[in-house]
Amino acid sequence: MKPSRLAMSLIVIVLMIFSFLPIWSAITTSLKTASEIRRTSPLIPSSLYFANFGGAWAKLGRPMQNSLIFTIFATLFSTVLGSMLGYLLTKVKFRWANHVFIFILFGMYLPYQSILIPLVQLMSRLGLYNTLLGMILTHTIYGIPICTLFFRNFYGFIPDSLIYASKIDGAGTWRTYLEIILPLSVIPFVVTGMYQFTRIWNDYLFGVVLTFGERTMPATVALVNLKGSFVADYGLQMAGGLLITLPTLLLYIFLGKYLIRGYVRGAIR
Amino acid sequence: MVKLDINSFFNVVLLTSVLTLLGIFVYGFTGWNIIISLTTWTGLTPTYEIKGLQSYLTALSNPVFLKSFSNNIILLGFFISGSILIGLLLAIALDQMERGAGPLRTFFVLPFTISYVVAGTLWAWMYTPGEGVIDSILGALGLGFLDIGWIANPRLSIYCIILTMIWQFSGYTMIILLAGIKSVPFSQIAAARVDGATSFSLYRHIVIPQIKQPLFIAFAVLFAFGVKTFALIWTLTAGGPGVSSYILSLHMYRTSFASFQFAEGAAIATIMLMLVLVVIVPYLYIMREK
Repeated sequence: MKPSRLAMSLIVIVLMIFSFLPIWSAITTSLKTASEIRRTSPLIPSSLYFANFGGAWAKLGRPMQNSLIFTIFATLFSTVLGSMLGYLLTKVKFRWANHVFIFILFGMYLPYQSILIPLVQLMSRLGLYNTLLGMILTHTIYGIPICTLFFRNFYGFIPDSLIYASKIDGAGTWRTYLEIILPLSVIPFVVTGMYQFTRIWNDYLFGVVLTFGERTMPATVALVNLKGSFVADYGLQMAGGLLITLPTLLLYIFLGKYLIRGYVRGAIR
Repeated sequence: MVKLDINSFFNVVLLTSVLTLLGIFVYGFTGWNIIISLTTWTGLTPTYEIKGLQSYLTALSNPVFLKSFSNNIILLGFFISGSILIGLLLAIALDQMERGAGPLRTFFVLPFTISYVVAGTLWAWMYTPGEGVIDSILGALGLGFLDIGWIANPRLSIYCIILTMIWQFSGYTMIILLAGIKSVPFSQIAAARVDGATSFSLYRHIVIPQIKQPLFIAFAVLFAFGVKTFALIWTLTAGGPGVSSYILSLHMYRTSFASFQFAEGAAIATIMLMLVLVVIVPYLYIMREK
Protein backbone atom coordinates (compact mmCIF):
# COMPACT_ATOMS: atom_id res chain seq x y z
CA MET A 1 0.00 0.00 0.00
CA LYS A 2 1.33 3.44 -0.89
CA PRO A 3 2.20 5.69 2.08
CA SER A 4 -0.40 8.29 1.05
CA ARG A 5 -3.09 5.59 0.90
CA LEU A 6 -2.06 4.34 4.31
CA ALA A 7 -2.17 7.83 5.80
CA MET A 8 -5.62 8.38 4.29
CA SER A 9 -6.91 5.10 5.71
CA LEU A 10 -5.55 5.99 9.14
CA ILE A 11 -7.25 9.39 9.03
CA VAL A 12 -10.56 7.78 8.04
CA ILE A 13 -10.31 5.23 10.86
CA VAL A 14 -9.51 7.90 13.45
CA LEU A 15 -12.44 9.99 12.23
CA MET A 16 -14.73 6.95 12.33
CA ILE A 17 -13.84 6.46 15.98
CA PHE A 18 -14.33 10.18 16.62
CA SER A 19 -17.78 10.03 14.96
CA PHE A 20 -18.99 6.93 16.71
CA LEU A 21 -17.42 7.18 20.17
CA PRO A 22 -20.08 9.44 21.75
CA ILE A 23 -22.90 7.28 20.38
CA TRP A 24 -21.22 4.05 21.46
CA SER A 25 -20.49 5.24 24.98
CA ALA A 26 -24.09 6.48 25.26
CA ILE A 27 -25.34 3.00 24.35
CA THR A 28 -23.11 1.21 26.85
CA THR A 29 -23.75 3.75 29.63
CA SER A 30 -27.52 3.64 29.14
CA LEU A 31 -27.48 -0.10 29.87
CA LYS A 32 -25.59 0.12 33.18
CA THR A 33 -26.64 0.64 36.77
CA ALA A 34 -25.43 3.78 38.53
CA SER A 35 -22.72 1.92 40.44
CA GLU A 36 -21.51 0.14 37.29
CA ILE A 37 -21.20 3.52 35.57
CA ARG A 38 -18.90 4.64 38.36
CA ARG A 39 -16.87 1.44 38.44
CA THR A 40 -16.53 0.35 34.80
CA SER A 41 -15.13 1.91 31.64
CA PRO A 42 -17.77 3.64 29.50
CA LEU A 43 -16.32 1.91 26.47
CA ILE A 44 -17.10 -1.60 27.61
CA PRO A 45 -20.65 -2.89 27.94
CA SER A 46 -21.07 -4.75 31.20
CA SER A 47 -24.75 -5.57 31.58
CA LEU A 48 -28.16 -5.24 30.01
CA TYR A 49 -29.96 -3.11 32.56
CA PHE A 50 -33.06 -1.63 30.92
CA ALA A 51 -34.45 0.35 33.84
CA ASN A 52 -32.83 3.56 32.55
CA PHE A 53 -34.97 3.32 29.44
CA GLY A 54 -38.07 2.76 31.55
CA GLY A 55 -37.20 5.79 33.64
CA ALA A 56 -36.54 7.93 30.57
CA TRP A 57 -39.75 6.79 28.90
CA ALA A 58 -41.76 7.83 31.96
CA LYS A 59 -40.48 11.38 31.49
CA LEU A 60 -40.29 11.50 27.69
CA GLY A 61 -43.19 9.34 26.53
CA ARG A 62 -45.86 12.02 26.44
CA PRO A 63 -43.53 14.74 25.06
CA MET A 64 -42.47 12.33 22.31
CA GLN A 65 -46.13 11.95 21.33
CA ASN A 66 -46.43 15.75 21.17
CA SER A 67 -43.32 15.94 19.00
CA LEU A 68 -44.62 13.20 16.74
CA ILE A 69 -47.92 15.00 16.15
CA PHE A 70 -46.58 18.43 15.29
CA THR A 71 -43.60 17.03 13.40
CA ILE A 72 -45.75 14.87 11.11
CA PHE A 73 -48.18 17.67 10.27
CA ALA A 74 -45.55 20.38 9.83
CA THR A 75 -43.44 18.04 7.68
CA LEU A 76 -46.44 17.22 5.51
CA PHE A 77 -47.55 20.83 5.05
CA SER A 78 -44.12 22.33 4.43
CA THR A 79 -43.12 19.58 2.01
CA VAL A 80 -46.29 19.85 -0.07
CA LEU A 81 -46.02 23.64 -0.18
CA GLY A 82 -42.33 23.38 -1.06
CA SER A 83 -43.15 21.06 -3.93
CA MET A 84 -45.81 23.37 -5.35
CA LEU A 85 -43.57 26.42 -5.01
CA GLY A 86 -40.56 24.59 -6.44
CA TYR A 87 -42.71 23.70 -9.44
CA LEU A 88 -43.95 27.26 -9.93
CA LEU A 89 -40.38 28.58 -9.69
CA THR A 90 -38.85 26.19 -12.22
CA LYS A 91 -41.52 25.20 -14.70
CA VAL A 92 -43.89 28.13 -14.83
CA LYS A 93 -42.71 31.33 -16.37
CA PHE A 94 -43.52 34.51 -14.54
CA ARG A 95 -41.81 37.82 -13.96
CA TRP A 96 -39.85 38.17 -10.73
CA ALA A 97 -39.55 34.40 -10.32
CA ASN A 98 -35.91 34.79 -9.28
CA HIS A 99 -36.74 37.57 -6.87
CA VAL A 100 -39.56 35.55 -5.37
CA PHE A 101 -37.11 32.68 -4.87
CA ILE A 102 -34.56 34.86 -3.08
CA PHE A 103 -37.38 36.36 -0.99
CA ILE A 104 -38.40 32.85 0.08
CA LEU A 105 -34.86 31.50 0.48
CA PHE A 106 -33.62 34.16 2.89
CA GLY A 107 -35.73 32.66 5.67
CA MET A 108 -33.46 29.62 5.62
CA TYR A 109 -30.46 31.56 6.89
CA LEU A 110 -32.32 33.79 9.30
CA PRO A 111 -31.00 33.48 12.86
CA TYR A 112 -34.28 32.63 14.60
CA GLN A 113 -33.28 34.69 17.63
CA SER A 114 -34.08 37.77 15.57
CA ILE A 115 -37.75 36.79 15.20
CA LEU A 116 -38.20 35.05 18.54
CA ILE A 117 -39.76 37.83 20.61
CA PRO A 118 -42.28 38.88 17.90
CA LEU A 119 -43.11 35.20 17.30
CA VAL A 120 -43.99 34.63 20.95
CA GLN A 121 -46.02 37.86 20.96
CA LEU A 122 -48.04 36.95 17.87
CA MET A 123 -48.64 33.38 18.98
CA SER A 124 -49.96 34.60 22.34
CA ARG A 125 -52.16 37.15 20.57
CA LEU A 126 -53.58 34.44 18.28
CA GLY A 127 -54.18 32.11 21.22
CA LEU A 128 -51.71 29.64 19.72
CA TYR A 129 -49.12 29.95 22.47
CA ASN A 130 -48.60 26.58 24.16
CA THR A 131 -50.61 24.67 21.55
CA LEU A 132 -49.59 21.97 19.12
CA LEU A 133 -51.31 23.98 16.39
CA GLY A 134 -48.93 26.86 17.09
CA MET A 135 -45.96 24.50 16.78
CA ILE A 136 -47.33 23.13 13.49
CA LEU A 137 -47.84 26.63 12.09
CA THR A 138 -44.39 27.84 13.18
CA HIS A 139 -42.50 24.85 11.85
CA THR A 140 -44.48 24.82 8.60
CA ILE A 141 -43.73 28.45 7.84
CA TYR A 142 -40.04 28.36 8.72
CA GLY A 143 -39.73 25.08 6.79
CA ILE A 144 -41.04 26.55 3.52
CA PRO A 145 -37.69 28.10 2.45
CA ILE A 146 -35.62 24.92 2.61
CA CYS A 147 -38.40 22.77 1.13
CA THR A 148 -38.78 25.17 -1.78
CA LEU A 149 -35.01 25.09 -2.31
CA PHE A 150 -34.90 21.27 -2.34
CA PHE A 151 -37.78 20.90 -4.78
CA ARG A 152 -36.56 23.71 -7.00
CA ASN A 153 -33.20 22.00 -7.35
CA PHE A 154 -34.82 18.63 -8.07
CA TYR A 155 -37.29 19.98 -10.59
CA GLY A 156 -34.42 21.66 -12.41
CA PHE A 157 -33.51 18.16 -13.61
CA ILE A 158 -36.93 17.48 -15.15
CA PRO A 159 -36.80 18.38 -18.85
CA ASP A 160 -39.06 21.23 -19.95
CA SER A 161 -40.11 19.18 -22.98
CA LEU A 162 -42.29 17.05 -20.69
CA ILE A 163 -44.12 20.19 -19.63
CA TYR A 164 -44.57 21.31 -23.25
CA ALA A 165 -45.97 17.93 -24.20
CA SER A 166 -48.51 18.13 -21.42
CA LYS A 167 -49.34 21.72 -22.36
CA ILE A 168 -49.97 20.71 -25.98
CA ASP A 169 -52.30 18.02 -24.70
CA GLY A 170 -54.28 20.86 -23.20
CA ALA A 171 -53.45 20.34 -19.52
CA GLY A 172 -53.41 23.42 -17.28
CA THR A 173 -50.65 24.37 -14.86
CA TRP A 174 -51.89 22.23 -12.01
CA ARG A 175 -53.09 19.29 -14.04
CA THR A 176 -49.56 19.15 -15.42
CA TYR A 177 -48.28 19.23 -11.87
CA LEU A 178 -50.54 16.39 -10.78
CA GLU A 179 -50.04 14.23 -13.86
CA ILE A 180 -46.41 14.86 -14.82
CA ILE A 181 -44.50 16.35 -11.90
CA LEU A 182 -45.93 14.52 -8.87
CA PRO A 183 -45.30 11.01 -10.21
CA LEU A 184 -41.63 12.02 -10.70
CA SER A 185 -41.39 13.47 -7.20
CA VAL A 186 -41.12 10.37 -5.02
CA ILE A 187 -37.40 10.80 -4.33
CA PRO A 188 -37.57 14.55 -3.60
CA PHE A 189 -40.52 13.94 -1.29
CA VAL A 190 -38.56 11.26 0.58
CA VAL A 191 -35.45 13.46 0.83
CA THR A 192 -37.25 16.66 1.78
CA GLY A 193 -39.69 14.90 4.08
CA MET A 194 -36.88 13.16 5.90
CA TYR A 195 -34.87 16.32 6.24
CA GLN A 196 -37.87 18.22 7.57
CA PHE A 197 -38.96 15.46 9.92
CA THR A 198 -35.48 15.32 11.43
CA ARG A 199 -35.13 19.09 11.66
CA ILE A 200 -38.52 19.64 13.30
CA TRP A 201 -38.25 16.63 15.60
CA ASN A 202 -34.80 17.84 16.73
CA ASP A 203 -35.74 21.48 17.26
CA TYR A 204 -35.42 22.92 20.73
CA LEU A 205 -35.56 26.71 20.42
CA PHE A 206 -39.16 27.08 19.17
CA GLY A 207 -40.33 24.41 21.59
CA VAL A 208 -38.79 26.04 24.63
CA VAL A 209 -40.22 29.51 23.94
CA LEU A 210 -43.65 28.44 22.62
CA THR A 211 -44.65 25.66 25.03
CA PHE A 212 -44.60 24.71 28.68
CA GLY A 213 -45.88 21.64 30.47
CA GLU A 214 -46.21 18.01 29.51
CA ARG A 215 -49.26 18.39 27.28
CA THR A 216 -47.49 20.39 24.60
CA MET A 217 -43.74 20.36 25.17
CA PRO A 218 -41.54 18.62 22.59
CA ALA A 219 -39.32 15.69 23.52
CA THR A 220 -36.18 17.84 23.21
CA VAL A 221 -37.44 20.23 25.88
CA ALA A 222 -38.34 17.29 28.11
CA LEU A 223 -34.82 15.87 27.69
CA VAL A 224 -33.26 19.15 28.79
CA ASN A 225 -35.56 19.20 31.83
CA LEU A 226 -34.59 15.60 32.59
CA LYS A 227 -30.91 16.47 32.26
CA GLY A 228 -31.41 19.44 34.57
CA SER A 229 -33.26 17.54 37.29
CA PHE A 230 -31.15 14.35 37.37
CA VAL A 231 -27.77 16.00 37.08
CA ALA A 232 -25.41 13.09 37.68
CA ASP A 233 -27.65 10.26 36.47
CA TYR A 234 -25.79 9.61 33.23
CA GLY A 235 -27.50 6.27 32.60
CA LEU A 236 -30.89 7.98 32.56
CA GLN A 237 -29.61 10.89 30.47
CA MET A 238 -28.05 8.63 27.84
CA ALA A 239 -31.17 6.47 27.69
CA GLY A 240 -33.26 9.61 27.19
CA GLY A 241 -30.95 10.88 24.46
CA LEU A 242 -31.06 7.55 22.64
CA LEU A 243 -34.82 7.26 23.02
CA ILE A 244 -35.31 10.64 21.35
CA THR A 245 -32.88 9.74 18.59
CA LEU A 246 -34.60 6.44 17.80
CA PRO A 247 -37.36 7.65 15.38
CA THR A 248 -35.01 9.77 13.27
CA LEU A 249 -32.31 7.10 13.46
CA LEU A 250 -34.66 4.41 12.10
CA LEU A 251 -35.72 6.79 9.33
CA TYR A 252 -32.09 7.49 8.54
CA ILE A 253 -31.04 3.83 8.55
CA PHE A 254 -33.77 2.86 6.10
CA LEU A 255 -33.94 5.93 3.87
CA GLY A 256 -30.63 7.68 4.55
CA LYS A 257 -29.05 6.69 1.25
CA TYR A 258 -31.74 8.65 -0.61
CA LEU A 259 -31.04 11.68 1.55
CA ILE A 260 -27.29 11.43 0.89
CA ARG A 261 -27.88 10.88 -2.81
CA GLY A 262 -30.11 13.93 -2.84
CA TYR A 263 -27.44 15.96 -1.08
CA VAL A 264 -24.74 14.80 -3.48
CA ARG A 265 -26.91 15.70 -6.46
CA GLY A 266 -27.00 19.22 -5.16
CA ALA A 267 -30.11 19.51 -3.04
CA ILE A 268 -28.41 22.00 -0.73
CA ARG A 269 -27.24 25.23 -2.31
CA MET B 1 -41.69 26.61 -19.48
CA VAL B 2 -45.38 27.34 -19.38
CA LYS B 3 -46.56 30.83 -18.73
CA LEU B 4 -48.05 31.57 -15.34
CA ASP B 5 -51.75 32.00 -15.66
CA ILE B 6 -52.17 34.96 -13.40
CA ASN B 7 -55.94 34.70 -13.77
CA SER B 8 -55.83 31.29 -12.21
CA PHE B 9 -57.38 31.79 -8.81
CA PHE B 10 -55.34 28.97 -7.33
CA ASN B 11 -51.97 30.36 -8.45
CA VAL B 12 -52.78 33.76 -7.04
CA VAL B 13 -54.00 32.37 -3.73
CA LEU B 14 -50.99 30.07 -3.36
CA LEU B 15 -48.36 32.69 -4.14
CA THR B 16 -49.94 35.52 -2.21
CA SER B 17 -50.66 33.45 0.88
CA VAL B 18 -47.17 31.96 1.04
CA LEU B 19 -45.49 35.29 0.36
CA THR B 20 -47.73 37.00 2.93
CA LEU B 21 -46.95 34.40 5.60
CA LEU B 22 -43.20 34.60 4.97
CA GLY B 23 -43.53 38.36 4.70
CA ILE B 24 -44.96 38.45 8.21
CA PHE B 25 -42.97 35.67 9.90
CA VAL B 26 -39.58 36.43 8.35
CA TYR B 27 -39.51 40.08 7.28
CA GLY B 28 -42.27 41.56 9.41
CA PHE B 29 -40.97 39.92 12.60
CA THR B 30 -37.41 41.01 11.81
CA GLY B 31 -38.65 44.60 11.43
CA TRP B 32 -40.79 44.31 14.55
CA ASN B 33 -37.80 42.98 16.46
CA ILE B 34 -35.77 46.02 15.39
CA ILE B 35 -38.59 48.30 16.59
CA ILE B 36 -38.64 46.49 19.96
CA SER B 37 -34.89 47.02 20.20
CA LEU B 38 -35.50 50.77 19.95
CA THR B 39 -38.06 50.86 22.79
CA THR B 40 -37.70 50.85 26.57
CA TRP B 41 -39.47 47.49 27.01
CA THR B 42 -38.26 45.86 30.21
CA GLY B 43 -40.36 43.45 32.23
CA LEU B 44 -43.34 41.41 31.18
CA THR B 45 -45.62 44.13 29.81
CA PRO B 46 -44.56 45.64 26.50
CA THR B 47 -43.98 49.38 26.42
CA TYR B 48 -43.61 50.79 22.97
CA GLU B 49 -41.97 54.06 23.84
CA ILE B 50 -39.23 54.67 21.31
CA LYS B 51 -36.02 55.56 23.06
CA GLY B 52 -33.56 55.33 20.15
CA LEU B 53 -30.39 53.33 20.49
CA GLN B 54 -30.41 53.20 24.30
CA SER B 55 -30.77 49.40 24.48
CA TYR B 56 -27.85 48.95 22.07
CA LEU B 57 -25.65 51.05 24.36
CA THR B 58 -26.84 49.03 27.35
CA ALA B 59 -26.11 45.80 25.48
CA LEU B 60 -22.67 46.87 24.27
CA SER B 61 -21.57 48.08 27.69
CA ASN B 62 -22.38 44.70 29.28
CA PRO B 63 -19.21 42.62 29.79
CA VAL B 64 -21.24 39.45 29.17
CA PHE B 65 -22.07 40.77 25.71
CA LEU B 66 -18.40 41.39 24.95
CA LYS B 67 -17.49 37.91 26.19
CA SER B 68 -20.31 36.39 24.12
CA PHE B 69 -19.26 38.32 21.03
CA SER B 70 -15.60 37.37 21.24
CA ASN B 71 -16.55 33.74 21.94
CA ASN B 72 -18.82 33.84 18.90
CA ILE B 73 -15.95 35.03 16.70
CA ILE B 74 -13.64 32.32 18.10
CA LEU B 75 -16.38 29.76 17.57
CA LEU B 76 -17.03 30.85 13.98
CA GLY B 77 -13.32 30.79 13.14
CA PHE B 78 -12.48 27.37 14.54
CA PHE B 79 -15.82 25.72 13.85
CA ILE B 80 -15.90 26.71 10.18
CA SER B 81 -12.24 25.96 9.47
CA GLY B 82 -12.31 22.70 11.46
CA SER B 83 -15.48 21.43 9.77
CA ILE B 84 -14.22 22.36 6.31
CA LEU B 85 -10.81 20.78 6.94
CA ILE B 86 -12.24 17.47 8.20
CA GLY B 87 -15.05 17.59 5.65
CA LEU B 88 -12.54 18.05 2.84
CA LEU B 89 -10.29 15.25 4.11
CA LEU B 90 -13.26 12.90 4.30
CA ALA B 91 -14.57 13.96 0.89
CA ILE B 92 -11.18 13.30 -0.73
CA ALA B 93 -10.75 9.98 1.10
CA LEU B 94 -14.21 8.77 0.11
CA ASP B 95 -13.80 10.02 -3.43
CA GLN B 96 -10.73 7.80 -3.84
CA MET B 97 -12.42 4.68 -2.50
CA GLU B 98 -13.45 2.08 -5.00
CA ARG B 99 -15.71 0.26 -2.58
CA GLY B 100 -17.50 1.07 0.64
CA ALA B 101 -17.85 4.81 0.05
CA GLY B 102 -21.67 4.64 0.16
CA PRO B 103 -22.03 3.17 3.67
CA LEU B 104 -19.21 5.41 4.93
CA ARG B 105 -20.99 8.52 3.63
CA THR B 106 -24.10 7.44 5.52
CA PHE B 107 -21.99 6.71 8.61
CA PHE B 108 -20.28 10.10 8.68
CA VAL B 109 -23.50 12.07 8.20
CA LEU B 110 -25.10 10.27 11.17
CA PRO B 111 -24.04 12.85 13.82
CA PHE B 112 -25.71 15.57 11.74
CA THR B 113 -29.09 13.82 12.05
CA ILE B 114 -28.89 13.83 15.86
CA SER B 115 -30.63 16.62 17.73
CA TYR B 116 -28.38 19.36 19.14
CA VAL B 117 -29.97 18.68 22.50
CA VAL B 118 -28.95 15.02 22.33
CA ALA B 119 -25.49 15.93 21.02
CA GLY B 120 -25.04 18.25 24.00
CA THR B 121 -26.20 15.51 26.37
CA LEU B 122 -23.88 12.86 24.89
CA TRP B 123 -20.88 15.17 24.87
CA ALA B 124 -21.50 16.41 28.40
CA TRP B 125 -20.88 12.79 29.42
CA MET B 126 -17.83 12.60 27.13
CA TYR B 127 -16.34 15.67 28.79
CA THR B 128 -17.34 14.94 32.40
CA PRO B 129 -14.14 15.43 34.39
CA GLY B 130 -12.90 12.37 36.26
CA GLU B 131 -15.36 9.61 35.39
CA GLY B 132 -16.48 10.76 31.91
CA VAL B 133 -15.67 8.97 28.66
CA ILE B 134 -12.61 10.97 27.62
CA ASP B 135 -11.02 10.91 31.06
CA SER B 136 -11.60 7.20 31.59
CA ILE B 137 -9.97 6.48 28.23
CA LEU B 138 -7.02 8.69 29.18
CA GLY B 139 -6.87 6.96 32.56
CA ALA B 140 -6.86 3.51 30.95
CA LEU B 141 -4.01 4.60 28.68
CA GLY B 142 -2.02 5.84 31.66
CA LEU B 143 -2.54 9.43 30.54
CA GLY B 144 -4.64 10.47 33.50
CA PHE B 145 -2.51 13.61 33.99
CA LEU B 146 -4.11 14.93 30.79
CA ASP B 147 -7.38 15.43 32.64
CA ILE B 148 -7.61 19.15 32.12
CA GLY B 149 -11.17 19.66 33.26
CA TRP B 150 -12.75 20.01 29.81
CA ILE B 151 -16.15 21.73 30.15
CA ALA B 152 -15.45 22.45 33.82
CA ASN B 153 -12.41 24.48 32.80
CA PRO B 154 -13.43 28.06 31.93
CA ARG B 155 -10.49 28.43 29.56
CA LEU B 156 -11.44 25.30 27.60
CA SER B 157 -15.24 25.20 27.67
CA ILE B 158 -15.74 27.13 24.42
CA TYR B 159 -13.26 24.87 22.61
CA CYS B 160 -15.08 21.80 23.89
CA ILE B 161 -18.23 23.23 22.32
CA ILE B 162 -16.40 23.87 19.06
CA LEU B 163 -15.12 20.27 18.94
CA THR B 164 -18.65 18.95 19.47
CA MET B 165 -19.96 21.18 16.69
CA ILE B 166 -17.21 19.95 14.36
CA TRP B 167 -18.28 16.41 15.28
CA GLN B 168 -21.84 17.21 14.19
CA PHE B 169 -21.09 19.17 11.04
CA SER B 170 -18.01 17.69 9.37
CA GLY B 171 -20.01 14.86 7.74
CA TYR B 172 -22.49 17.36 6.39
CA THR B 173 -19.64 19.53 5.09
CA MET B 174 -18.14 16.42 3.50
CA ILE B 175 -21.36 15.86 1.52
CA ILE B 176 -21.44 19.43 0.19
CA LEU B 177 -17.80 19.15 -0.91
CA LEU B 178 -18.20 15.61 -2.27
CA ALA B 179 -20.97 16.90 -4.55
CA GLY B 180 -18.47 19.45 -5.87
CA ILE B 181 -15.68 16.90 -6.33
CA LYS B 182 -17.99 14.55 -8.21
CA SER B 183 -18.84 17.32 -10.68
CA VAL B 184 -15.19 17.81 -11.75
CA PRO B 185 -15.03 16.34 -15.29
CA PHE B 186 -13.48 12.88 -15.22
CA SER B 187 -11.48 13.61 -18.40
CA GLN B 188 -9.40 16.19 -16.50
CA ILE B 189 -8.64 13.75 -13.71
CA ALA B 190 -7.75 11.00 -16.19
CA ALA B 191 -5.51 13.40 -18.15
CA ALA B 192 -3.69 14.45 -14.98
CA ARG B 193 -3.21 10.81 -14.00
CA VAL B 194 -1.72 10.06 -17.44
CA ASP B 195 0.66 12.98 -16.93
CA GLY B 196 1.80 11.26 -13.75
CA ALA B 197 0.19 13.55 -11.17
CA THR B 198 0.22 12.20 -7.64
CA SER B 199 -3.06 12.08 -5.74
CA PHE B 200 -1.96 15.03 -3.67
CA SER B 201 -1.11 17.31 -6.58
CA LEU B 202 -4.22 16.10 -8.43
CA TYR B 203 -6.45 17.36 -5.64
CA ARG B 204 -4.29 20.38 -4.93
CA HIS B 205 -4.12 21.68 -8.53
CA ILE B 206 -7.10 20.21 -10.36
CA VAL B 207 -9.91 19.42 -7.94
CA ILE B 208 -9.75 22.01 -5.16
CA PRO B 209 -9.59 25.03 -7.52
CA GLN B 210 -12.80 23.75 -9.11
CA ILE B 211 -14.75 23.35 -5.90
CA LYS B 212 -14.55 26.99 -4.86
CA GLN B 213 -18.31 27.28 -5.12
CA PRO B 214 -19.09 24.29 -2.84
CA LEU B 215 -16.45 25.58 -0.43
CA PHE B 216 -18.19 28.93 -0.40
CA ILE B 217 -21.59 27.25 0.11
CA ALA B 218 -20.15 25.27 3.03
CA PHE B 219 -18.66 28.44 4.48
CA ALA B 220 -21.96 30.34 4.27
CA VAL B 221 -24.08 27.51 5.66
CA LEU B 222 -21.67 26.84 8.53
CA PHE B 223 -21.47 30.56 9.26
CA ALA B 224 -25.25 30.78 9.62
CA PHE B 225 -25.26 27.67 11.86
CA GLY B 226 -22.40 29.10 13.91
CA VAL B 227 -24.30 32.29 14.65
CA LYS B 228 -27.65 30.75 15.53
CA THR B 229 -26.44 27.63 17.38
CA PHE B 230 -28.11 27.51 20.76
CA ALA B 231 -29.49 24.19 21.97
CA LEU B 232 -26.15 22.39 21.81
CA ILE B 233 -24.43 24.92 24.04
CA TRP B 234 -27.44 25.22 26.28
CA THR B 235 -27.31 21.49 27.04
CA LEU B 236 -23.53 21.06 26.99
CA THR B 237 -22.33 23.90 29.22
CA ALA B 238 -25.32 26.25 29.60
CA GLY B 239 -22.72 28.96 28.95
CA GLY B 240 -20.60 28.03 31.93
CA PRO B 241 -18.53 27.77 33.98
CA GLY B 242 -19.62 31.32 34.79
CA VAL B 243 -20.07 32.98 31.43
CA SER B 244 -16.93 31.43 29.92
CA SER B 245 -18.76 29.71 27.06
CA TYR B 246 -21.49 32.26 26.40
CA ILE B 247 -22.19 33.18 22.81
CA LEU B 248 -24.67 35.75 21.48
CA SER B 249 -27.57 33.31 21.07
CA LEU B 250 -27.36 32.31 24.74
CA HIS B 251 -26.97 35.86 25.92
CA MET B 252 -29.98 36.90 23.84
CA TYR B 253 -32.10 34.06 25.24
CA ARG B 254 -31.15 34.73 28.86
CA THR B 255 -31.59 38.49 28.51
CA SER B 256 -35.04 38.12 26.93
CA PHE B 257 -36.61 35.04 28.45
CA ALA B 258 -34.96 34.83 31.88
CA SER B 259 -34.33 38.50 32.75
CA PHE B 260 -37.24 39.86 30.63
CA GLN B 261 -35.08 42.70 29.28
CA PHE B 262 -36.86 42.45 25.94
CA ALA B 263 -35.53 45.66 24.38
CA GLU B 264 -31.96 44.64 25.14
CA GLY B 265 -32.61 41.07 23.98
CA ALA B 266 -34.05 42.39 20.73
CA ALA B 267 -30.95 44.57 20.30
CA ILE B 268 -28.66 41.55 20.74
CA ALA B 269 -30.79 39.63 18.22
CA THR B 270 -30.49 42.49 15.75
CA ILE B 271 -26.71 42.45 16.11
CA MET B 272 -26.78 38.69 15.42
CA LEU B 273 -28.86 39.32 12.33
CA MET B 274 -26.31 41.89 11.09
CA LEU B 275 -23.55 39.34 11.59
CA VAL B 276 -25.41 36.81 9.43
CA LEU B 277 -26.29 39.39 6.77
CA VAL B 278 -22.60 40.28 6.25
CA VAL B 279 -22.09 36.79 4.81
CA ILE B 280 -25.54 35.76 3.57
CA VAL B 281 -26.36 38.81 1.44
CA PRO B 282 -23.25 38.44 -0.76
CA TYR B 283 -23.92 34.69 -0.80
CA LEU B 284 -27.50 35.04 -2.01
CA TYR B 285 -26.35 37.66 -4.53
CA ILE B 286 -23.80 35.26 -6.03
CA MET B 287 -26.25 32.34 -5.97
CA ARG B 288 -28.87 34.43 -7.78
CA GLU B 289 -26.49 34.91 -10.72
CA LYS B 290 -26.26 31.24 -11.52
